[in-house]
Amino acid sequence: MFKPPPRASGYIHTNYGEDLALLRTRTERMSLAIFLIIVASFPFLASPFALDLACQVFLASIGALSLMLLTGFAGQISLGHAGLIAAGAFTTGILAREIAAPFWITLPASALTGILLGFIFGLPSLRLRGLYLAVSTLALHFVVIYLGGEYETKRGFSTGIVIDPPSLVGFKLGGRGWYFILFMAAVANLLICVNLLRSRSGRAWGAIHVRETVAEALGINIARYKLLAFVISSSMTSVAGCLFAYYRGFVSVEAFDLFLSIQYVAMIIIGGMGSLLGALLGAMFVTVFPYLIEALLRLLPNAQKLAGDIFAVNYAAFGVVMILFLACEPLGLVGIWRRLQNYFLLWPFRYKPLAGARK
Amino acid sequence: MQLAVNILVLGSIYALIACGYVLIYRVSRVLNLAHGELMMLGAYLVLATASLFNGHPRMALAAAVLLSLLTGGLVYIFLMRKMTGEMVLAAILTTVALGILVRGIVILIWSAQQQYPAQALGVSNPSLVLFGGARISLWSAVLVATTFVVYGALFVFLRFGRWGMRMRAAGQNPLLAAQRGINLHGVYALAWSLSTLTGALAGILMALDSGLTGSMPVIGLKAFPAALVGGLDSFAGALIGALIVAGAEVLLIYYVDPLLSDVVPFLVLIAILIVRPWGLFGTREELDRV
Amino acid sequence: MINRFLLGGLTVCAIALPAAAQDAYLVGVTAALTGPPASTYAPAVDALRIYIDRVNAAGGVNGKQIKLMIEDDGAQPSKAAANTKKLITQDNVVLMVNASLSSTYAPVIAESKSANVPLLFASGVCPQSVYPPADPLQFCTTGYASQFDSRATLDFVKATAKGPIKMGFSAMAIPLSRGEMDYAMELSKKMDIDPVGQEIIPPSTADYTPFATKLKDAGPNWVYSWAPWVTQVRTLEALRKLGWQDDYIAWGHLEAEAELARLKDGKFYVVNSNALFQEKQPIHQEIEAAASKASSKFPAQTMTEGWIGGMAIEAALKGAGWPADPAKLRAAMENLKIDTKGLRGGPIEWTKNNHFRTRLYYRIYKWDGDKIARVQDWKTYEVK
Repeated sequence: MFKPPPRASGYIHTNYGEDLALLRTRTERMSLAIFLIIVASFPFLASPFALDLACQVFLASIGALSLMLLTGFAGQISLGHAGLIAAGAFTTGILAREIAAPFWITLPASALTGILLGFIFGLPSLRLRGLYLAVSTLALHFVVIYLGGEYETKRGFSTGIVIDPPSLVGFKLGGRGWYFILFMAAVANLLICVNLLRSRSGRAWGAIHVRETVAEALGINIARYKLLAFVISSSMTSVAGCLFAYYRGFVSVEAFDLFLSIQYVAMIIIGGMGSLLGALLGAMFVTVFPYLIEALLRLLPNAQKLAGDIFAVNYAAFGVVMILFLACEPLGLVGIWRRLQNYFLLWPFRYKPLAGARK
Repeated sequence: MQLAVNILVLGSIYALIACGYVLIYRVSRVLNLAHGELMMLGAYLVLATASLFNGHPRMALAAAVLLSLLTGGLVYIFLMRKMTGEMVLAAILTTVALGILVRGIVILIWSAQQQYPAQALGVSNPSLVLFGGARISLWSAVLVATTFVVYGALFVFLRFGRWGMRMRAAGQNPLLAAQRGINLHGVYALAWSLSTLTGALAGILMALDSGLTGSMPVIGLKAFPAALVGGLDSFAGALIGALIVAGAEVLLIYYVDPLLSDVVPFLVLIAILIVRPWGLFGTREELDRV
Repeated sequence: MINRFLLGGLTVCAIALPAAAQDAYLVGVTAALTGPPASTYAPAVDALRIYIDRVNAAGGVNGKQIKLMIEDDGAQPSKAAANTKKLITQDNVVLMVNASLSSTYAPVIAESKSANVPLLFASGVCPQSVYPPADPLQFCTTGYASQFDSRATLDFVKATAKGPIKMGFSAMAIPLSRGEMDYAMELSKKMDIDPVGQEIIPPSTADYTPFATKLKDAGPNWVYSWAPWVTQVRTLEALRKLGWQDDYIAWGHLEAEAELARLKDGKFYVVNSNALFQEKQPIHQEIEAAASKASSKFPAQTMTEGWIGGMAIEAALKGAGWPADPAKLRAAMENLKIDTKGLRGGPIEWTKNNHFRTRLYYRIYKWDGDKIARVQDWKTYEVK
């Protein structure tokens, strides 16, 4: 395993507040400020399309973070992620459509749906492990899609449920409004994850992930913490589904196919297992990458002539890059990031000088 | 009577696909999510060989099957070999990426249109009347027969063949097997070849029966519960699991609601896995239950 | 941090590209060119591209070239929404074309509404919102349309069949197809047709026989299917394998012509709104020549829908003049007559509150011995 370098030296914490703080050094505070300035100015500089892409990245981040919590930290594999997003989106769609429920009702309702589904589909995890568990979560996906499809057909929404945009005190959201809302949602989610992971439950998940028997011997209630992981992750995912429904203004079963689940698994693996930063990087990469390839392929001469083939090439290229990534960079994007970090930390040395060498 | 035939045909389809999953999982503990795509590729290869060996359907079929055997080996040598020893989830995701790649290539070469290999080969698909008035189409009957032959051959090969024994050894304890001089890469490559071969057989026979589109890989996924119900590393399990799932599906379609046919195999799966987490016939691997 | 680089790089690429093409009509297309249902949409989009290339080679419209900007959505709603947003806000297209699965309609409509850009559905089923009273922004050229198709089909069955009709229905498990079959079942009751059963079949099914067995055991003497071609034809083949020998009627999608010749089934009727190529009209020969010149992957028979879409785009741009903007184009489209040159039973006419067509024409074909025969010539339905 890779050991992250120390964050800072010479800082001695004299009270609990300092010890709990997320930002400890001046550099950290500075870089956060710069990052926030970039984030805040981005929507005023970028084209609406880039803005849309950024919103998609934020939405994907929420989903990827919650899957990372479940798979990367608690060690429970899930292939039902798209089903959970669909559950949140459908809860929102149905409530908004049937009883014209406003935003502040549908959001908690989606979270509640997520909690319920997370509990039910977390139950098999008490007996199943690994791939068997993964496939049993597939069932969740099919059940949700079946129910959603039934609702759509029975109510005659054959091209999907259209949802009116949420109104915040009569204020209508534009692209920029959505950008900030989704950004804040993603940040809130990140903070929840960070704090969960450094609390009692986070440590319990870590222990379960490494070896269940030992965790049990340490006095951790395995069943409780496994279910907790499922419930928390599912409710966060359902909230992402709710936001998705409002952002896109529609819900339909076709938007949540199995490929979406696989994309989320791809996000956390490409990003780097067991790292929240990895989930964010992975979400970004998997969302932006297809558009990037498209843009690059269009730069080729005669791109218009190949119009019929270019999309097949595009599709295949996505597969190739994913393979290259998995084969050549098993630690994921976070591995690259840490190598970069290390390079600057150790500069001018290539490797860490041996501890005894300087004596 | 017709219902029994339907169950037999659907069960054979699932069993033939499932044995591809089992072959690879058994020796290398990797779940091949590109199996559906490789199956489709095999069926598309028939289109290519049909134009190559014009007028010789047998030659064309044999060539397509051999090509798929080769494809499987190449997939291992150039791709999955790198993933040996990596995190299992990463290896699975690699197969997903492979699947995406194969789909892209298929659209690039053969376009997205519906194709009919039977027409390209110039063979027909008559309907045969069985006892009791039940009917089965010729290629479905061939599929059922193929499934039995494949399972029989695999049984003999794994039980008595030298390489079969090596495969079992590699599946049981790869480290020990390698130290006893078994060429692990050779064994894995063989497993991939055979798995692709059986997948291609299923794909080809299904395409001959009812045509071929780019949506075939989804069927590969539907055979998944079948492989798991029986236990991912047991051939007998795959066979019986396929029959259970197919039986549940056909009876539900007939007596309850056809819409449930997508959902119920997975519910059956969960029900069985909760009672026996390693499947009906699977080996009880490191399931250190607490 | 990396996302900023990626986004920045992407924006630079994207901004640098379309700068050259300002002296042309920009038309955006979001289409299902990959993904499971691509077989329905990819040929149509290819035909559209070939048609527009021909128009451009002949000097363009109003002396200006048409630039077709095609984006693939893989039949995924989210991707379609992103495509539309990009095409409208960044490339400033004057017209959006949707050639994709019906599940992509809602997001594409939402994007086109927010930017007031007219939206044309070509080769995907016409949504109800183009029927009178039509949504001001949406137009449709596609040959098949829910409710009208079932009406025409059941009228034909009623007129053709001798004796009492017991009808079975076969739908694909997608909301659109199921809704249509439910409608047809209701309608058949009013028309004194006995609906005996309906089968709903998932989009990807390994074996259709179990579904067909149930349908056959319901004892129909006619079966009607309005679904994507795969479901229609595989249900028929499965029924035939089971020894069911009665009449089967389905919608004639773009594959119909080749498929009738493949199946050679004398009791398989297809309801069409497009004339088949075997009629050998001049326009058909024109399409065949153009397809082979462009060395398209798709046979000419599958290109009618895309070709008609191209005709509509050309006519609309001609009416809008130069320079065109979305508002002018919409005004032109609200009062447009598209000459289909025999591909349909008559011209497509759009009026202020009808963006579908004022008259629908249906022809019905089947295989007859050694060729495809027309069993009913253009039958007209008024759209009100």
